[in-house]
Amino acid sequence: MVVEMRRKAIVLIVLVLIFLVLPFLVSGFWVRLVTGIFMFAILASALNIIAGFTGYAAFGNMIFFGVGAYTTAVLMNKLKFPFFTSLILSGGVAVLLAIVLGLLLLRLKGHYFALATLGAAEAMHQIVNNLTDLTGGGQGMSLPQMRGSPFVLNLFFYFLMFFFLVLITFLVWRLSKNRLGYAFKAIRANEEAASVMGINTTYYKIYAWSLSGLFTGFTGAIYAYWFTYIDPPTVFDVMMVVKMFVIILIGGAGTVFGPIIGAFILESISELVWAKFINLHLGILGTIIMLVVIFMPNGIIDLVTKKRSFKGIIKYLRENKL
Amino acid sequence: MSDGNIILLGKGVTRTFGALRAVWNVDFEVIKGEILGIIGPNGAGKTTLLSMINGTLPLTSGSIRFKGKEISGLKPHRIAELGIARTFQIVKPFPGMTVLENVSIGALFGREKLKNVREAQEKTEYILEKVQLEDKRDVAVENLNVSERKRLELARALAMGPELLLLDEVMAGLNPTEIERIMELIVQVNNEGTTIMVIEHVMKAIMGISHRIMVLHHGEKIAEGSPREITNNEQVISAYLGERYVKKRQGVK
Amino acid sequence: MLLQAIVNGILYGAVYATIGIGFSLVWGVMNIINVAHGSFIMIGAYLSYTLFAVYHIDPFLSIPVVMLVLFLIAYAIQKYVLNLVVRGSVFITLTFTFGLQILIANICLLIWSADFHSVKLSYSSLSFQIGSVIIPYVRLGIFLVAILLTLLFYLFMRKTKIGIAINATALNLEGAKTVGIDVGNIYAITFGVSAALAGAAGALISPIMSINPFVGGNLVGKAFVVAILGGLGSTVGALVGGLVLGLVETVGTIFISSSYQELLGFVVLVLVLIFRPQGIMGKRFY
Repeated sequence: MVVEMRRKAIVLIVLVLIFLVLPFLVSGFWVRLVTGIFMFAILASALNIIAGFTGYAAFGNMIFFGVGAYTTAVLMNKLKFPFFTSLILSGGVAVLLAIVLGLLLLRLKGHYFALATLGAAEAMHQIVNNLTDLTGGGQGMSLPQMRGSPFVLNLFFYFLMFFFLVLITFLVWRLSKNRLGYAFKAIRANEEAASVMGINTTYYKIYAWSLSGLFTGFTGAIYAYWFTYIDPPTVFDVMMVVKMFVIILIGGAGTVFGPIIGAFILESISELVWAKFINLHLGILGTIIMLVVIFMPNGIIDLVTKKRSFKGIIKYLRENKL
Repeated sequence: MSDGNIILLGKGVTRTFGALRAVWNVDFEVIKGEILGIIGPNGAGKTTLLSMINGTLPLTSGSIRFKGKEISGLKPHRIAELGIARTFQIVKPFPGMTVLENVSIGALFGREKLKNVREAQEKTEYILEKVQLEDKRDVAVENLNVSERKRLELARALAMGPELLLLDEVMAGLNPTEIERIMELIVQVNNEGTTIMVIEHVMKAIMGISHRIMVLHHGEKIAEGSPREITNNEQVISAYLGERYVKKRQGVK
Repeated sequence: MLLQAIVNGILYGAVYATIGIGFSLVWGVMNIINVAHGSFIMIGAYLSYTLFAVYHIDPFLSIPVVMLVLFLIAYAIQKYVLNLVVRGSVFITLTFTFGLQILIANICLLIWSADFHSVKLSYSSLSFQIGSVIIPYVRLGIFLVAILLTLLFYLFMRKTKIGIAINATALNLEGAKTVGIDVGNIYAITFGVSAALAGAAGALISPIMSINPFVGGNLVGKAFVVAILGGLGSTVGALVGGLVLGLVETVGTIFISSSYQELLGFVVLVLVLIFRPQGIMGKRFY
């Protein structure tokens, strides 16, 4: 056991070191690509907290991304706030939203919850779209550009995203072992039993969603500053959340490193497909999504460790289907 | 017997579902440190009563006081924190987690609210030994058999460190040896200071361990007393075996 | 003006009902939220457009063909693919149908390109008037066909053997299997019927809407609202839900600017989910 942990720790440290030096070794294109992967990893990890751990499939989680992005955009553009202040405030707004939405929606279960969050996200999308004076409406909004050479900018956003990725991964790692995480997992396993055993389910569900919203909001804020331009359809895009779910599925729901692994795999395939098959890119993505759901509902690690052959998988599906 | 000895007091406890009277105007008291057995034919309202005590079901009317404090209307987790734990007739383990993890949750969030997972797991180990599940500590709960699941259910409740333990047909589905085992366990837990309310259909068991028995029928309390008094109570016999049987017995006498 | 809005609301509402019924059926019977439902509507619209553009067949007449094609496609998808994941959690099934939706969008993109298409009928602009209310003939036709489809569906579910089997399967899966119902087949038929209705809806709206491979998302959003408003498992509910949505949108825009129209639908959705998740008609079965 200890040897295994030691080995894992070494792998982890090596990876972190690689990521720390990577941007100095490769071109800007790759740095930006990896930054994007980090972003999806954070988003998927954040979703994992409410969906994977606590069992509430928040299909509308992009609401926090959009709100985070727009809060930063408005603060920096209209009120001339500096970036880091805007970042923190965006996180705060996201948490407040999570609490309000949580009080309203977390009483719903399963499909109804998923649908309600989707509806809320779309409603927010429309609201932002219509508040033209504040947000620029459908035209979108631009942010002040950060000063510096492209090289420095790439580095800045790379390390910023990496920092938040490390932060959330550490948080989730703690959750997998601590009392708070137990509460989340119990709620997912059997909410009624959890309640009877002393877990204040309302409080913990909102806590989970707030954590999820916080990091999703932070990411949205960083995205806004990074791309210097945002518009409602992009930052409130439901496909973002679908990708997050696929990433979680690939990596394994409720695991610590699953979302990171999943993000790397999905985004790499995505890039490859975009580069070579641009016309079929959506179709291939859709097919991948469906294949992942069918063949890897427990994550790729599960698939690999159980050494399922193709025949084995089909047999397993047949037995479990109806 | 002074009032300070009554740990749970129910007055006019009623639960209706539309026109159905599941529990109707039941007064009861539970003495600290006793084992109170609850019996009655199926559909008598026993589980409903328990669900009202632990907060899973709200009362339609009436009041329940635990250690002098009104608990009707409180949420289940609040009642759990106050010191009441319960097992379910149809067990509700946490799937996807091990035996140790399942029971630890009780220690972490029950009355004692341990802050530290390690502490909770230590306490859990102790309880697992008590219910003789310590060799299954790392087994996923899906892989347990019926007897083990029942003991797990009991262990989870015990881990909460309750002052009052509600057991709902914890012996259902067990063979005689297993029943003996659980009976001993219940008595042991009671000796260590926990007050217990037990719902059971296994007559010999419940008569054997209870200090007092309460009988429910069609939602109403029809009798209360020592096990001996209850077995001879005509109303009780009638409820279980029908009036004709009682008349027949009277005829034979 | 209010009267016109009400009439419009009812006319649009029937279409929304047709969109919602199939979606509600799949959700109620198989517990799958089919995001690709919008794509089926879209395929229906595209097929109708193609038949019109190439063979000059009026969309109203092409409805049976469209329904058949969609039934077959959807039947195959359910039978060979969806049945593999139908018992999964919402995580699994919803993600899956999203994947299906974008695959279909891509296919439509390849076949029909990203340009907007619409069916321009010779009688599109003709209308008649009752009092101060103007009713275009096309809209009236759409309304009547939509009501007819709803009625046929209701009869199908109540009076035919297959319809009853579907009900049985929805209410008690294990029980249905025990009495010998081939549930895999029933699920496939259910999905097929749902898609057929979607296709019909698509054909119906092809004269009044611009079609493009990405309208599916918008359309399924309407389906969500109708299904929730009406309550799952109720044909009448879907009809009522559709009409209510139609009315909310048309009457609502008198008081609020039209750019908020979309928002209204979603606000209604969320409010209903919070306060009355079983919908207007409550939980029942067909």
